[in-house]
Parts: sequence; C-alpha cells; structure tokens
Amino acid sequence: MKRWLLGLTALMIGALVAPTGAAAQGKDTLTIALPNHAPTLDPHMHFERVGVLVNINMFDSLLHRSAKLEFEPSLATSWKALNDTTWEFKLRKGVKFHDGSMMTAEDVKYSFDRVLEPGKEKKKSPQYGNVRAIKEVKIVDADTVQLITDKPFPLLLERLVYFGIVPKKHIEKVGEEAFGSTATSGTGPWKLVEWKRDQHIRLEAFDQHWRGKPAFKYVVFRSIPEVATQVAELKTGGVDIIRNVSPDLLGDIKAHPLTRISTTPILRVHYISLDMRTAPFDKKPARQAANYAIDKQSMITKMMAGLGRQVPTVVQPPAFGFDPSVQPYPYDPKKAKELLAQAGYPNGVDITLHSSSTEWRPQFEALGEMLTEVGLRTTTKMWDPGPAWNKFFQAEGKGTHGQYGNWGNYSVFDADAVLHPFYHTEPGGWIGKHYARVEGLDKLIDEGRSTIDQARRKQIYARIQAMIKDEAPSVFLWTQNDTLGISKKVAYEARPDEWLWLFAAKPAN
Amino acid sequence: MSAFLIRRLLRFVVVCLGVSVVTFSILHASGDPVSLIMPEAPEADRAKLRLALGLADPLPVQFVRFVSNAARGDFGNSFFHREPAFRLVVERMPTTLGLTCLAVAMALAVAVPVGIYSAVRRNTVGDHAATVVVFLGQSMPVFWIGIMLMLLFSVQWRLLPVSGWSTWSSMVLPAVTLGAFTTPLFMRIVRSSMLEVVNLDYVRTARAKGVSEWLVICRHALLNAALPIVTVIGLQFGLLLGGAVLTETVFAVPGVGRLIVGAIRQLDFPIVQAGVFLLAIIIVSVNFLVDVLYVYLNPTIRLR
Repeated sequence: MKRWLLGLTALMIGALVAPTGAAAQGKDTLTIALPNHAPTLDPHMHFERVGVLVNINMFDSLLHRSAKLEFEPSLATSWKALNDTTWEFKLRKGVKFHDGSMMTAEDVKYSFDRVLEPGKEKKKSPQYGNVRAIKEVKIVDADTVQLITDKPFPLLLERLVYFGIVPKKHIEKVGEEAFGSTATSGTGPWKLVEWKRDQHIRLEAFDQHWRGKPAFKYVVFRSIPEVATQVAELKTGGVDIIRNVSPDLLGDIKAHPLTRISTTPILRVHYISLDMRTAPFDKKPARQAANYAIDKQSMITKMMAGLGRQVPTVVQPPAFGFDPSVQPYPYDPKKAKELLAQAGYPNGVDITLHSSSTEWRPQFEALGEMLTEVGLRTTTKMWDPGPAWNKFFQAEGKGTHGQYGNWGNYSVFDADAVLHPFYHTEPGGWIGKHYARVEGLDKLIDEGRSTIDQARRKQIYARIQAMIKDEAPSVFLWTQNDTLGISKKVAYEARPDEWLWLFAAKPAN
Repeated sequence: MSAFLIRRLLRFVVVCLGVSVVTFSILHASGDPVSLIMPEAPEADRAKLRLALGLADPLPVQFVRFVSNAARGDFGNSFFHREPAFRLVVERMPTTLGLTCLAVAMALAVAVPVGIYSAVRRNTVGDHAATVVVFLGQSMPVFWIGIMLMLLFSVQWRLLPVSGWSTWSSMVLPAVTLGAFTTPLFMRIVRSSMLEVVNLDYVRTARAKGVSEWLVICRHALLNAALPIVTVIGLQFGLLLGGAVLTETVFAVPGVGRLIVGAIRQLDFPIVQAGVFLLAIIIVSVNFLVDVLYVYLNPTIRLR
C-alpha cells in the first residue's frame, strides 16, 4: 500500500493552504472594498485612484479640500500669493510623523524635490506633470516655505490638495522601497499596520495626529475585484463601504435592511466630440442639430436611475469658472431637422460615432438612435478599450465623425482642466487637436491659464462657455454621480471629488 | 524504463520551448508594446523606451534573450508594480496550487464514492440520479456557480465567509466551486474503469474466497482501476489551474490567476508572460510526473 504517498500529499496540501490569520472585524474597524491595490503606498510614486484613496488617510497635504470643495488649512495654516508666480505657505507647528519625528520646512521641500527631481531629465514620479509648473521650493524660515512657479499657474492650490508631505530623514534611513511597502510614515490620521498584497491594507489610528483621534481605530482596505462579491460582502457586514455602485445594483442595496446608498454629483462629464474638420460637422447648424436631437433628461431618468444632471457645455457645475447663466440645449427634434436642412442635408446624412466606454454602451446606442431620428443616421461603433482603440484614437486621430466618452478632469475642479484637453488645438493636446476648430478659442484658453487673477479668469471662462455653447464643437450631455453602498452602521456620505476621507466617518447610532 | 523516461523528458523540453514561443509572442501579438505603455507620449520618448526595453532589436535576437532570461526566472519588471514580475507570480503560486489541490481533493471526495456506487449499482435509479446531479456541476460556468454558492451559503445562510483567503472556512466555497467543474469527469472515469475490472476473474476469485464486498471493491477493484484516474487528474490539473483564474477573481483569492487577470487589464505584459510561462511549466511537469507515476503503478508499461 502506498499510504505514505497519500500522507505526503495531504501534508503538502496542508502546508500550501495553511490559514494566515483571520481579519478581526469589530466595532472599531471600518472596512472598505477596493477592486485592487495601487502598486505602492508611497503617495508620490503612483497615480492610481485606488491608491490616492488610501494615501489621503495616511498622509496630509499642505491644503485639504472640504466636502463642500473649499480649500481648508492642513499642514499649511495659511497661504497667499506674493506675486503672479510666488506663493507663500505658513506651516502648522508641532505636527508629528508616524515615525515620531517632527514635520519641518525641510520635509516640505524634500517632498516636492522628490517628485520634481530638479536637474534630472527622466523623472520617476508619475505625478511630475501635476506639479511641473513649480520651479523652486524655497525655505524662508522654519515655518514658512515659498513655491515659485515658472509662469502664472492658477491651478497650483488644486494640485496641492493631493500632494502628501513625507519625512525626509525617515525615507533616507529606510529607503524608498521600504517606505512604499512596509515602513510608510505620514502625518495623517492613520498609520500602516500591514499590507498583504491582493488581500488587505490595515491601518491603525495615529495617537499623536494633530486633528485628534478618528472615530474608527482601524481602517482596512480589502482588495475585492468582483462587483457581485463586493455587494455580497456589504450585505453580510464583511465590508462597510463599496464604491462605484452601478444603477442596476441600486435597488438591491437600497432594499437590503443593513445597507444604504449615498450618491453625489461628481466632476465626470459625458460628451460627444464632433469632428469639425470634415462634413457634416464642419457646419455649425449640423453641430447644433446634434445638440437639439438629444433628450438628455429622459436618458438620465430612464437609463441612469436619475443619477445625473444635464450640463450646458462640458464645464461641470462644481468646477471653478462654471457659468450658470448658460443654459443647456433643450430637446427639440423639429428644430434639429430644420438646422440639418439648413446645413445642406434636408434628407439626412450617414455618420459613424465611436466609443470605448464599454460600461456606457446602452447610453451610447440610445444616443445613436436619437441622432438617427432627426436625420443624422448614426452607426455606433463600440471599441474594446485597448491597443486597437489607442491606435485609432491616438495615432490616426480621427473619430470619423465623432467620439462618445466621459472625462473626469483628473479631479481638478477648474474649467481649464476640461477646456484645454477638449478644445485647444496645439500638438500634444488630447481631443482638441483632432476634433476642435473654433476660431479664437485657443487664444482664450491660453489667456485663462496665464493669470492667477481668479475674477479675470471667471470672465474669460464665461466668454468661452457662451462661445462653445453656440459653436457646439461637442454634443453636450450630462455629468454623472458617484454612488457608494454603505453599511447602515456607518455614518458617511459620498463626496463630489470621489475621495474617501474617512476621518469624517463615524459609527451610526 | 530509462529509455521511456528519457523520451518523456525530451518531450518535456520540446513542450517548454513551445510554451516560450507562445509566451514571447503574447507581447508582440497585440501590436507595438511601447505605444501601449505610453500611448500619449511623443515619439522621441517612445524611441527611448523602446531602446531601454530592448524592443528595437530584431525579433530572433529578442526571442533568444527572452528564453535565456526566462530560464533564469527573469521576465523583467512589472509595468504596474515595478517589481520583478517573476517574483510577484511566485509569491502567489502557493495560494493557487493550494486552491487547485483542495479542489481536486473535493472533487475526488465526491467522485470516487459516487463513481463506485454507480459502477456497482449500474443502471439503477441511483446511478442515473447521481449522474444527472453531478453533471449539473459541469454544465454551470465557474463564475456563476461561485456567485450562486456565495449567495446561498454566505448571504442567505451566513454559514461561510463571502470572500477572502484567510481562514479554513473561507477556502471551502472557492474549492467547492472549482471542484464542481471537474467532479463529473472524475466520476465518469471512476465508474467506467470500475466497470472494466469489477467482473474480472481476480475480483470474482476474491469474492469466492469470501472476502467482504467492501474489501473487494476498495483493494482489489479500485486499486486496479486507479490508473486512468491518475491520468485524468493529471490532465485536469491544467484545466483546473485555468478555472482557478475565474474562481480567484470571484472570491478575491490572492492567487496567480487573479494577478494575471489584473495584469491583462492593465496591459502588464511581464506579469502575463511570467504567469503563463510558470503555469504552463507546472502543467507540463504534472503531466510528466503522471507519466512517471504510471510506470510505478503499472509495471507492464516498462516493457514497452
């Protein structure tokens, strides 16, 4: 008998699957489900939303953004622009890092230099582009630093909201790799306990945090790729918050006795970019016709569970520079047909639209139907977001007649962050260089980004919005919501910047 | 014996080479890897990266370099994790192998008794019922059966954790899900190979000697019917590793399969290559081992 063979096999299986310690799930623990983890816990060395959400709870920036989207003091207690290119920040006194050292002006300078790497040609931080406008970081005294930009940079404060300040001496001691995986240290409300790849990141409240104690002692970010699994975990109390709940799951989570929904409009705008270089959209009436053809409100009500809002242009209501006096195109198919005839297509015209937003396929097809009804007979072509799409979209740069997609401004609450990529025609631009050809628009966009006088910028953006509303280089659609599924045991609400600022979370009564 | 093994070993090497050709071409089948890594970068930067990654060399040169690096376990750094891809894969391998072994154990635990029962009580209502029930398992896709089991056992009845891989109880559902997929085949094999031996002379002789029915079936019949079962386990092992990819994603199990799925989404080729390569090598090795085990279990093969 070969019993030993059986025994050996059993032993091997046992060794392979030995349990690794159960995750405690108590009242003082807040558990979040994320689809995956970022490659590193170092706040400067990735650019992943899932990583940002973890980092903001461990690292403070100079400024914080409130749930109402106002700048709040964080590691800087006050700030002002000394001139067009010099900003001065007063640092908070007595702030400690998780490793026990005090936060100083040296650490602030080090944090920026680490991303900017002055003098080096190849930058290793993927966030370099965000702060590249900063030319120099000057230490004035122990509690004062100045950021000097190469030209007027109105988005500076926006960029500082997510820019973690890290401890210089600690990183030099433990090394970059350990800092990003096992030996992180920030000034934020929670510090790292352990990170198990593809399983969980476990944080514990930092008892010397300057804001005081958070309501939850432990925060756990579990990595759960499958949405159905996340929902099942939420219902059974395995996690307390799940993100990006899609409309089809809303009812299920609302109906369950232990879970609820929290939803809020976010910065993500949907659009169809029209190719203004070729017929039919080289003619303004044809572009306007496309805008009149879309019944935006029905789409929002019927296809997005009401979780969206019409927008007059591509500038989102929460972004700086939004002009509420510009009104959205109403739904008017009759007018659309007239305009199309005026553009020279009384019998309609065949067009093709492209998209790679696979999760919005039903909406894309409905848009095609509505356009077809007024005579813009649309073929919708859905692409897999991948190499072929990149090649089509980036290299050939032609969406034939248009492209449907959505844009999140890289979370920058400023009109420039959508206007420049969409409509500036400079080489190296994003959609604009392929699609938009609006006389005088480039100059206005440039003007808007070359002053830090916010009142003046507001005027410029108001002019731009009136102009693009009329010229209609895109079909303007709606902004979408972010929707969280939350355990009824937790008091927390979704934020317009999609952050999970867990210091605001409390146990519900 | 040794000639047999050498033949098998040669085949092993040939298959490994084939695997490396396929793995190598993964990167190039999907177009220009550099424009995938940095789609919005200017051409000058792309050229630099191409040079840095050695992608500017002719394909045969790249292939030879790939194979010699792969042999040393070097697949380059993951684009996403910025760590050696091979290490990331190897770290997760025990979990995947553990899941697969557990699934095989679960499948055998069901298939062997049911298969024996079906063979001994051939063409009875019990035999047919067992066949139908077990085959339901194979008719359902892995991800679907996984979610159904989760809804039933975790959400409705609260008996087992929904997902994760931390306690013994959290391993039950993934293992059952993956096992359900292969149980029917095991069962059919047990049944048919039992049928072959159950009426042979030595079994009849054993019965005639007055050996208990239990012992006849387990010692005399089953052991002699074991050969095809071993083969099928070996063959199924590869399929199961494939099934583990979906099971790991559904149940948030931190294994190789999930790593590869994530890497495919992120176009992280070094991980895909290292993962596919390692899994393929494991499958080939298991098949090789099965061949060796054959010789051990059935001495007549040595004569061929």
